[in-house]
Amino acid sequence: MFIRLLRESIIRKLRRNLLTASALLLGMAVATATITVAVDVGDQLAREFRSLGANLLVTPQSDTLPVEIGGVDYRPVSEGAYLQVADLPKLKTIFWRNNILGFTPFLDVPIGLTITNPAGSPTEIRTTLIGTWYRHSVPLADGTSFDTGASITHTWWQIRGQWFAENASQCVVGSSLAASHSIGIGDTLNLSAGGRTETATVTGIVTTGGAEDDAVLCSLSLAQDLAGKPGEFRQLSVSALTKPADALAAKDPNTMTPAEYDRWYCSPYITSIGHQIEQVLPGTQVRAIRRVAETEGRVLARVSLLLWIVTIAALIAASLAVAATSATTVMERRAEVGLMKALGATNFVVGLLFLSEQLLLAIVGGAFGFLAGAVLARELGITVFGVPTSPRLILLPVILVIAILVAAAGSWVPLYRASRFSPAPILRGE
Amino acid sequence: MMFRRILLHLLRGNRVRFIVALLALTSGGAVASALINLDLDVTHKLTQEFRSLGANLVISAPQTASLAVTNQGFLDDSILQRIAQPQFAEVTTAPYLYVIAHASSNSGPSVVVAGTWLDRALQLAPWWKITGTSAIPRDDLSHCLIGRNVADSLHLSPGRQLSLNFADRSESLTIAGIVDAGGSEDNQVFVNLPVAQELAGLSGKIELIQLSVPGSPSEINRISERLRAVLPDLQIRPIRQISQAEGTLLHRIRFLIVSTGILILVLTALCILATMAALAMERRRDVGLMKALGGSIQKVVRLFLAEVGILGTAGGILGYILGMTLSIWMGHRVFGASISPRWEVLPITVALMLLVSLAGALPLRLLGNVRPAVILRGE
Repeated sequence: MFIRLLRESIIRKLRRNLLTASALLLGMAVATATITVAVDVGDQLAREFRSLGANLLVTPQSDTLPVEIGGVDYRPVSEGAYLQVADLPKLKTIFWRNNILGFTPFLDVPIGLTITNPAGSPTEIRTTLIGTWYRHSVPLADGTSFDTGASITHTWWQIRGQWFAENASQCVVGSSLAASHSIGIGDTLNLSAGGRTETATVTGIVTTGGAEDDAVLCSLSLAQDLAGKPGEFRQLSVSALTKPADALAAKDPNTMTPAEYDRWYCSPYITSIGHQIEQVLPGTQVRAIRRVAETEGRVLARVSLLLWIVTIAALIAASLAVAATSATTVMERRAEVGLMKALGATNFVVGLLFLSEQLLLAIVGGAFGFLAGAVLARELGITVFGVPTSPRLILLPVILVIAILVAAAGSWVPLYRASRFSPAPILRGE
Repeated sequence: MMFRRILLHLLRGNRVRFIVALLALTSGGAVASALINLDLDVTHKLTQEFRSLGANLVISAPQTASLAVTNQGFLDDSILQRIAQPQFAEVTTAPYLYVIAHASSNSGPSVVVAGTWLDRALQLAPWWKITGTSAIPRDDLSHCLIGRNVADSLHLSPGRQLSLNFADRSESLTIAGIVDAGGSEDNQVFVNLPVAQELAGLSGKIELIQLSVPGSPSEINRISERLRAVLPDLQIRPIRQISQAEGTLLHRIRFLIVSTGILILVLTALCILATMAALAMERRRDVGLMKALGGSIQKVVRLFLAEVGILGTAGGILGYILGMTLSIWMGHRVFGASISPRWEVLPITVALMLLVSLAGALPLRLLGNVRPAVILRGE
């Protein structure tokens, strides 16, 4: 009997019910889309922030003081400690290995650069040779390989011409150095350091906006040969996806309780990733490049807070609109309530009938709203970040609960009011 | 007269229905106006946020074969006066002169000494953490700041003396504080510019000027063009790492906020549309009654439009007030700065709410064809 009443009620008033259902659908689509985007935005923006380059710097621990200006080390080759290239694959064995997007070793060698101008006599200038990887494939222990290098950690480097090839006598020249000494692509440079000399062909001119503009860049192996330090490098830039620091990240790991330590270790904070790198590369000191890490954390925290507030505001607005639609459609049926009561139905039965009708609408509208919202969020992810946001099934029950609450809240007030009136005036249409 | 009386009666008649519709319109209007207001301000707020990345422009001499550490030529420090013009008022500048000196004694370990304006250098690098005193005016020639690694490797602490030696010159300074910068600055000693100039024997010379220019990439370009006009023979280059990343990130974040905003606006508007349509449907009885009494359907529709117009305007205005409160609160909560309410958002919000509520009345027009008897029977 009850079910027949319910079915009749829904089918007979199809147009009105469609309206309530579509309001629910739209409202829940807003909720799903904004919550999905707000949840995903941290990850997506963190990836975007990697265009700021490396956020961790690995240096030897037992080192003399680096004589470093603007990222270039001016120490002679004989001074200070070195790291081993052979240890680098270990970086991809740490707990957060998938968050390591790239790493680039650097070896700075002070050199004498002899330029043979076709017209003039050879002149020697002092400059720095920076040995690095631009694009390098690192074989990993599990048989796969990892492509990394400055192309990932230093995305803002701009080249005119070609990058140097690995294992070839090639180099690229910083733009200021090239301009002031009129070095062009195709020239051959004589590089000398500590009695060793190498020749290299210039394949490109690089602009970085940093100290590299006044230096010569070549493959790591060439710089190692020239420095007489095979398989060694001086510092490593690591670009890692991290989570903005919070209260836990600010704590000293040594004073944490075991539970806190586990949680800290298993969160991709910049400090915990640094700690894990120190564990696999003994004898190193890992420091966060604070300029990058702190700005990143702050901007990320602000943007996601902003989005959450907008999401909640939109959720409230959509809920009110949905509740209003429910209220209006229920209000319209006061006559029906009056009739039912006149025929002897209790308030409870009338309320149950109307509420279950709204419930059914809420479930249908909420489910379709979830689908629509997930599609919209996916499209939004593709347009803004070029990566679709992943639909979160865990949101479906949340959305359904919100839809049911909103529809019930909307119909409760008019139902309550209708139940208090005696049927006669309502039936008279007053 | 009659029209107004009926309208007043209608508005008062069913207060619950009126309040419910007004609530929906107000909250929609609040979200709309807050989002529009926010979008106008958020880019500006974020560019300020990115200034914590430090300098984004560097002025240096064109490269010559010289003695300077970074292989650059030297600049005359009179250039600083030329930049200190009202048109560059928003730019924060700090000059730098680097000397590689020996700490402690003439044969002590090498350390990079950076001569700058200590007060300005700290402004340019807000991420520095300093233990000890950080407030050193730029004319204080007896104090210095040292990097964390310098302090560790030379076993120094605030209050101790540090002597710096270069060639046959020597300077003895009191350590005011220790800089934890998380970068190459941790390996440097920071002194005021005249100290470094004297140590290097290069009075009146600097090596480079770091500038922090606020604003969008195009504003930064405009300022660097103007700097080029003032300093034609110098090299002015953007720090690409900062300027480029800043540009992409700002673009992405703004795009994200705008597209989320549009999505929310459209869906919320449709949602309110459904509410208004439900409200209009309810009028079917009135239409039937009026028609049965010989009234024209136009009149009923006009009445309803007037009602809806009042609702839309009231919802828009209330929504605007609520939305501005929301965006001011958001400004404080999210950016720690106030977002000023804009008047131009008011007409936009009201127009939007009016449009949405009038569009909701459209189904009424379909009722013109309905026979009154059918409606009055309640089917």
